[in-house]
Amino acid sequence: MASILRSLAAAGFGILLIVATAAGAADVVVVVSSESPVNSLSRAELADAYLGRVVRLPSGEPLLPLDQAESSAAYERFYENYLGRSPAQIKAHWSRLIFTGRGRPPPSLRDVETLADRIAATPNAIGYMDADRVGDGLRVVQLE
Amino acid sequence: MACGWCSLSSPESETPAGRGPWQLLVEPPVLFTAIGLLVLAVIWGATLNLAAKEHAAAHSTAASLATDVADTYEAQVVRALREIDHVLKLVRYELIDRPGDAAASDVLENLAEQDLLLPPLLFTVSVLDDTGRVVASTNGEAEPVDAAFAELLERARSADSLVIGQPRREGEDGEWRLRFARAVANGDGVDSGAVVISVHAGYFVSGYEPAALGDEGVLGLLGTDGVFRVRRTGDALSAGTAIDSGALIAEESMSKDSAEVQVNAWDEVRRYTIARKLFEFPLAIVVGLSEEEQLAPAERLETIYMWRAVAASAVVLIVVALLGFMSWRLHQARARVLAERIAHAERVEYLAFHDNLTDLPNRAFFSHLLGREMQQARRHGRSLALLFLDLDRFKNINDSLGHEAGDELLQEMARRLAGSVRESDVVARLGGDEFVVLLPEIATRGQVVPVAEKVLEAVARPMTLVGQEFRVTVSIGVAVFPGDGEDEQTLMKNADVAMYHAKSRGKNNYQIYSEELSTDSLERLALESSLRNALERGELRLFYQAKRNMADNSLTGMEVLLHWQHPELGLIPPREFIDLAEETGLIIPIGRWVLSTACRQNVAWQEEGFPPLSMAVNLSTRQFIDEGLLEDIKRALKDTGMAPSLLEVEVSESMVMRELDRTIRILGEMKQMGIRVAIEDFGTGYSSLSTLQQFPFDAIKIDRSFVRDAVRSAENGDLTDAIIAIGRQLSRTVVADGVETEEQFAFLRSHLCDEFQGGYGDEPMAAEDWAKIMRRDADGTAQDPPTS
Repeated sequence: MASILRSLAAAGFGILLIVATAAGAADVVVVVSSESPVNSLSRAELADAYLGRVVRLPSGEPLLPLDQAESSAAYERFYENYLGRSPAQIKAHWSRLIFTGRGRPPPSLRDVETLADRIAATPNAIGYMDADRVGDGLRVVQLE
Repeated sequence: MACGWCSLSSPESETPAGRGPWQLLVEPPVLFTAIGLLVLAVIWGATLNLAAKEHAAAHSTAASLATDVADTYEAQVVRALREIDHVLKLVRYELIDRPGDAAASDVLENLAEQDLLLPPLLFTVSVLDDTGRVVASTNGEAEPVDAAFAELLERARSADSLVIGQPRREGEDGEWRLRFARAVANGDGVDSGAVVISVHAGYFVSGYEPAALGDEGVLGLLGTDGVFRVRRTGDALSAGTAIDSGALIAEESMSKDSAEVQVNAWDEVRRYTIARKLFEFPLAIVVGLSEEEQLAPAERLETIYMWRAVAASAVVLIVVALLGFMSWRLHQARARVLAERIAHAERVEYLAFHDNLTDLPNRAFFSHLLGREMQQARRHGRSLALLFLDLDRFKNINDSLGHEAGDELLQEMARRLAGSVRESDVVARLGGDEFVVLLPEIATRGQVVPVAEKVLEAVARPMTLVGQEFRVTVSIGVAVFPGDGEDEQTLMKNADVAMYHAKSRGKNNYQIYSEELSTDSLERLALESSLRNALERGELRLFYQAKRNMADNSLTGMEVLLHWQHPELGLIPPREFIDLAEETGLIIPIGRWVLSTACRQNVAWQEEGFPPLSMAVNLSTRQFIDEGLLEDIKRALKDTGMAPSLLEVEVSESMVMRELDRTIRILGEMKQMGIRVAIEDFGTGYSSLSTLQQFPFDAIKIDRSFVRDAVRSAENGDLTDAIIAIGRQLSRTVVADGVETEEQFAFLRSHLCDEFQGGYGDEPMAAEDWAKIMRRDADGTAQDPPTS
């Protein structure tokens, strides 16, 4: 898995630049608790985490993805910019996983404050929000 | 005739009908066709069988796949419905005895926080009050009151179970959604509210796996009311279609159902379809696999099998065709070889029975035909006539013009003979210049006459040979069966006798056999046998005829004439036996004897004191072409000591024309030896003057016929005169032969002929008498010719 991630990272350098630019424009950033052991994350790992595949931290704990409400503005931007998928595709994806009993979508928090609080309080959680909402106890994760 | 003969001995041909039916089976055409058909049958039998098996396997695979998919789908649907129902019951439980809109919101909020609700991404949980108004929802935004909610509430109140609403399009993108509801019992329950879960309809068919279901499969939830809650084919989602659910769902076959191919009513696609009613819910699952898609690989495989079979069949057909073609060629070749052999055999047989020069039946075949015809005549009491033909003077022509001309003449004669008799008559060539004509059916002897005359006339017609016009004649002897002979040998012999008789009657005529003729013929036979002994017995005698100068009647020489003193027949003149001597070859020893005897006589007379006189000896054709001729002459001169200048040889015109080069050589050598050469019968042959001029000869003898005719008419006289003139022109001595009358003598003398011989002068005489003549001539001077 690691080697695949590395090679993906190497191959996707150019794409990352574009993603970074887009992220900058939309100001949606990926955040973790300031106490999180996670310093950096690959795009593929991020996608895995939000599509229901388990991503383990160095400690062995699973990374816990947290989501915003589908109706929020950050939701669509996040999925399109970071995972390259539309909300409809995400819905179809989870629809299939839930129906076939193979997974559950990340917990969806009511609003961004609740999300920020939950992440700050959970060391192995990860989330996303508009850059200007990043408050205390949170840290922006650099995507490789 | 030829065909009739062929049919007598046509070879037994091999008949296929004689073989058994099993042998017919191994005949190449039958065998190859049978093997080819067998191979084709095996190929197509195997192919069709394989295709049928593939089809059956694909069918059963598709059917069992449909069952598997249905089982899985059923389990998934049931689990999803139970989950929904569970949440509905949970919310209902929490709401019991907690009336009020705020309480409902709290309940939902608490449950959501505890993660006891369903993921909000797909599911929305709402609480309705007793009027159907949404009082709380996980959606956050209060949903509007609509008729559907009211209707759902009504149904939920009346049924103490999960109720399922009709599919609806909602939201901006118009996605299909389904609502599930349970009534919240509030006291008596009449005016209770309800909990509703709204879910994206696609959720229930999100298990659609293109790998298993293809692009034309179907997954769907069908309400027991016959309305599809959701249905998916490929990526296309639809809902709300109403169908006759009774026809689709078989009540009894709930567990042991198998996939049947049927045309789905909603889209007219043939599918392996399973519809199964769920036990706990008013729904049925519908699973369908497109028959076309499921069987496509098998059909592709079948198509490949078919093409392979077609290719194999083509190969088999080509091989069979090639084998057939080769076999046919072989058969053709064999047939050709056989036909050639038969043709060759027929040719050989034909040649064996036909004369290859004239294509007429030969002696052997004629003998066969004659035998057959005699048998027929005997059986039916009929007569048949045999005409025996011999060309007159054929030998002369053959000798003077060569064999090729002779052959041409024979061929022409054969054509004329065949043309002058009927189709049913037989013309055959016995050899040489002998032909026979067989008239198989005559009533009287007289009937032969017109045929014989016709033949005579046909033969006598002029013909052109080597650029010159000729006229040949034929002598015919006729014998009639059975009067003139009961068997072939006798009949042939008697016809021959009659023919000889015709010859002796001056040729160019026909004679019908009679007893008297036979007697003559016997004499001839006797003559032939006794001539063989004539030489040894000393029966041959020489006579001498004087040649005299026309001007002064002086003796210039003599011609030696050979006679045969037959003990019984008396003295026989040369013309009656020289031909016989020629035929038998006796002419050579006889000629030798004549030469030496004559020379010896000449020398003897000189020794007696008579003056040397020239002595002319006749040479026959046979002698002239004999290799030993010059040797014989030399020996005779040497043995007797006679001077060569006294010897004169007389050769006929036709003899010297035979082989010109050879003749010139021989005559030249004679000339060198000092011998004189005279051409006799001058004017009767066919030689041209230019040719004659090449010959080194000394004298010409005018034939007795010209001498005889000279005084009969002016024209004949002119002819004789011309001949004399030619001789004189060529500076040769001209001698007239056979001068019998004074008239003739006078004519010849007036036309400046040099010498003469004949009855007007001296008859031929024996040696003893000859001495007297010479003595008389020696006594007087030139003696005057006797007056008659």
